[in-house]
Amino acid sequence: MALKRDFYKALEDILGPEYVSDDPAITETYAFPVRKGIAVTPRFEAITLPNSTEQVQAAIKLCNKYEVQYKASSTGWLYSDPWGPNCVKIDLRRMNKIIEINEKSLYAVVEPYVVGGQLQAECMKRGLNCNLTGAGANCSALPMAAHVNLGHLSQSGSYGERNLLALEWVTPDGEIVRLGSLGSIDEWFCGDGPGPSLRGIVRGNTTPLGGLGVYTKAAQKLYPWPGPSTFPMEGISPKYKPAYVPPGFLVRYFSFKDLDTMIDAVLKIGEAEIATELMCFNAAMMASNMATKNMEEEIEIYNKFRDSVLGPGFMVLIAANSAGDFEYKKQVLQIIIDELQGKPLPEVEDPENQGGYIWRYVRETGSIKETGRVLAPSAGMVGGGDCLPLMSYFIKSCSKVKEQYIKDGLLFDDGTAPFLQSTEHGHMGHGEVLSRISVKAKDPAAVGNQINDASNRIAITEHFGVPQHVWSDTLHDLYGPHASNYHLWLRKIKKTFDPNGASESGNYITVKE
Amino acid sequence: MSLEEYRTDMETCRRCSPCKFIPFEKVTGFDHVNVCPSIAKYEFHSYSGGGRMVMGTALLEKRLNYTPKLQEIIYNCHMCGGCDTSCKYSMDMEVIEPINEIRIEAVESGHSNPALDKVINNLRKNGTMVPGAKAKRGDWARDLNLRDFTKEKVDVIFHAGCQTSFNPDMWKLAQGTAGLLQKAGVNFGIGGASELCCGGRAFQMGYKTDFMKQAESHMAAIKKSGVKTLVTGCAECYFAFKVLYDRFNLKGDLEILHTSEYLARLIKEGRLRPNKNVDITVTYHDPCHLGRQGEPYIHWEGKEVIDKVRTFDPPKERRRGTHGVYDPPRDVLKSIPGLKLIEMERIKEYAWCCGSGGGVTYSNPEFASWTGVERIKEAEQTGAGAIATACPWCVRQFKEAVSRKGSHLKVYDIVELLEKAV
Repeated sequence: MALKRDFYKALEDILGPEYVSDDPAITETYAFPVRKGIAVTPRFEAITLPNSTEQVQAAIKLCNKYEVQYKASSTGWLYSDPWGPNCVKIDLRRMNKIIEINEKSLYAVVEPYVVGGQLQAECMKRGLNCNLTGAGANCSALPMAAHVNLGHLSQSGSYGERNLLALEWVTPDGEIVRLGSLGSIDEWFCGDGPGPSLRGIVRGNTTPLGGLGVYTKAAQKLYPWPGPSTFPMEGISPKYKPAYVPPGFLVRYFSFKDLDTMIDAVLKIGEAEIATELMCFNAAMMASNMATKNMEEEIEIYNKFRDSVLGPGFMVLIAANSAGDFEYKKQVLQIIIDELQGKPLPEVEDPENQGGYIWRYVRETGSIKETGRVLAPSAGMVGGGDCLPLMSYFIKSCSKVKEQYIKDGLLFDDGTAPFLQSTEHGHMGHGEVLSRISVKAKDPAAVGNQINDASNRIAITEHFGVPQHVWSDTLHDLYGPHASNYHLWLRKIKKTFDPNGASESGNYITVKE
Repeated sequence: MSLEEYRTDMETCRRCSPCKFIPFEKVTGFDHVNVCPSIAKYEFHSYSGGGRMVMGTALLEKRLNYTPKLQEIIYNCHMCGGCDTSCKYSMDMEVIEPINEIRIEAVESGHSNPALDKVINNLRKNGTMVPGAKAKRGDWARDLNLRDFTKEKVDVIFHAGCQTSFNPDMWKLAQGTAGLLQKAGVNFGIGGASELCCGGRAFQMGYKTDFMKQAESHMAAIKKSGVKTLVTGCAECYFAFKVLYDRFNLKGDLEILHTSEYLARLIKEGRLRPNKNVDITVTYHDPCHLGRQGEPYIHWEGKEVIDKVRTFDPPKERRRGTHGVYDPPRDVLKSIPGLKLIEMERIKEYAWCCGSGGGVTYSNPEFASWTGVERIKEAEQTGAGAIATACPWCVRQFKEAVSRKGSHLKVYDIVELLEKAV
C-alpha cells in the first residue's frame, strides 16, 4: 500500500528528504531478520528519522491527518515490526543525547537512542550507576523504551516502572505532554508531581511497546556505584579480562538440591540486602556467558558445569562500599549458603574468570550470549512479575511444563527449572520460562506457542496475576476477564488518547471491541 | 562461497545492534561508541551490519531488486569489518563475509557501481587500483639500485603496493622501508616495474574474477622466484596476501609479514637500532586490514551436526579480530627514543576506519572524507601532535582529512618515524 505523495512530501518537509525513505531497500531491511520458511510479516511503508521532539510531534500530527499509522522504536530489538499495512516507522536513532546527569538528586535524563552502555559509563565516572535492561548495554537507556526494563542490576537498581521519573511524551494524536515535576516546574526529579502524573497510563504493567504515542525524553533514578570509573579490561575481543578485580567485588554461582531451597536462598539474600545482582541463571547460561571460542567450547564448559551443579542455581554479585562492608556481605552470604547447603561453581570463583564475569554482568554485555548462542534459550516464554514468593510458585508450576517438553525431546535439556530473578532485594520478582527449542523440532513456532499457552493457563488457573509479557489484543483479552476486566479499561485508555488509532498498537491493545 | 552459503549466518542475526557499536565492555563514556561509519553517517538501520544481513536474505528470496537505493547502500560501506568484530563478541556468525558476497553478487548480476567499474577497468588496462596515476609502477625505486626478485635470488620480497607505487607522495614510505631493510642487512628484492596489484581491493569491491586473476598471476611469479617471505607496508595488500590468498588456497607456505611486524622483529633481533631522539607525541591508528581483519584465515571443512542444538564437526573456529596485528606497530613506535604514544579511545579491534576502504574513496569520496575527519577529531582529542598509521591508504586519507578539517595534526606512516630514529 503506497503512501500518498503529498503525505510523503510533507514528511520530507518536516524531517528533511534524507531522513525519510520509502524505498524497499530501506523498509525491507527494517524487518526483524527473516528465517527461511517463516512467513514474511508486513513491512513499514516508510522509515523516518526525526531528531527532536518537535519533529516527532509534527510527524505524528501528519499521520493523524492522513490516517496513516506510525510506530516508534529506538534501538529496536523486538516488538518493532508493524502488524499491518499503512504504517510508517519512527526510528528514534537521531535522538541520542544525554540531557542531564544530576549527581545531587541522583537522576539522569536521556533521549531514546542513548544506549545503556553509554549512560552507565557516564554515570560511573560520577560514582553512580543506572539499571540497564536485561537485554543488554546495547539497548536504549530510556526507562520507557525497553518494555519491563528488568535487568541484572535490578536486585539493587530496581526496574523501569519504578525508576521512571519525569517524562516527555508525544501523545498518539500529537500533543506534547510533560509529566511529573517536568509538567509544573521544568524539573525532572519526580514522576508524580508536583505536576500531572499519568504513570499508570503511560506505562502500566509493561509499556505500550510503541502503541501509545512516543516517549521522547525521560528521567530515571540513579544509584551509587562503588567501583572504578572505568573497569580495567584488557585483551582483545572477545577474550577480555580485567587487569585486576577491583576491591569489594565478587561474583559467585551457587546451586542447590532443589528449587525450593534455591528460592529460600534468594529470599534470604534479599532480606539481608547484600547483593548488587542476583540472577537465577542456569548452568547453560553461565557457560554461554563464559565461552568465547565456538559452540563446541560452550558445550564443553556446559558439560563441566552440568556435572558440577546440584540443581537449580543463581549468580550473585557483590559490589561493596568499603572493606568492612565487603567482609560483612561476604560473611552473610556464606552463612546463607552454608545453611542451605549451596554448592559453589569453582570456575566462576577462579580469579582468571571472576573479573570477566563481574564486568559482563555489570555492563550486561553477556545478555546476547546468554540468550542467543547455541545452548542459550531461544524462547523466552510468559514472564510473570509480582512479589517474589508468588513468582517462585509460578516458576515451580511452569517448571513442570518445561520438564515435560524436555522429556518429549522438544527442548534442549539445560537441566534446570525456568528462570527467576528477584528485584529490589526480593521485594519483587520476575519469572520466565526460558528454554531452547530443539533444532530438530519439526515446528519450532508451534512448540513455542504450546509452551506459551501452557504458561498462560498456569498463570490464570493458579491465580498468579497478569504476567509482564502480555502484548497483544489476544493476550489482554485472555487475561482481562480474570483480572478485574482491566482490558476494558486499557482499551478505553487507548481510545481516549488515540482517537484516530494512529499509534500502531499490535504489541499493546487496539480499540477493537 | 556464495551468498546462499551464508544464509544461515544471515538468518542468525537477532537485530540486537552491537554491530553498530564498539564492544560494550570497552565503552568508557558517551562519545566514540560507534564502530560502523556507514550507519553512523546514514542513520537508517539498512546501512548497519544487521540491516545488511536482512538485505542478504531478502536478495536470496527475491524480495528486493537492485534499485539505485539498494546499490547506494551496498557500496556505502568501507568493508572495515567493525560490525563483524563487534557482532562476534557474542555471536557465532559471519558478517563481513556475507556483506562482501552481496557485492560480488551485485557485480556478477550486472549491478556494479560505475565509479568502481572505472577503477577496475583501470586495473585491467593499467594494472593498478590508483586510477589516473601518472607515475609508473617501480618509479619509486628508480636510482635506488634495488634487487629484482624476479631475476635475482633474494630472501625477502618487499611489495610496495598500488597506492605507494603510483602516488609520488607515498614513495617515501617505500623508499624509507627499503632503506631500513638495507640497514638491517636484509637480502630483499622488489618487483619494480613488474610488480602486480594484489587484487584485494577488487575483491572487497565485489570483482572476484579480477581478484582471482591478480592473485593467481601474483602467486605464479612469487612461486617461480622461490622466495619464502613477503613483506608489505600496505594493510590492504597484507590482508589480500595473508587472508584472501589463503582463503582461496593460493598462498601456500609463503610467509606474509606486514612491515611493522618485520621491522619489530628486526629491532628485537638488534638488526635495527633506533637511537636518535624523535621528540613527538603520536597517537596510532590501527588500519582495519592490518588490525581486526589482519588475523589469519581459518580453514574449515566439515559438516553441520543437527541435534537439539546445531554444532559443527570438526568444531568451527571463527575470525573474531582477536589475532589481528596490534602490537608490532606499537612496538616499533615504542622503540623510538623520545616518542610518546597516546592511545585514542577506539583502538585495535574496535578502531574506527580511516575511510579509504571498500572503494568508497571512488564511489563516494564525500563519505570517505567524513569518516576520515571523524577519526582525525578523535585523534586530536588525545592531545597528540601527530597521527601515525601503517598503511599508505590510511596516510593518504588522513592527509586529506587533516587538510579538510584544518587540523594541526601531522600524519606519518610508522616507517617514516622509525627512519628518523635509525
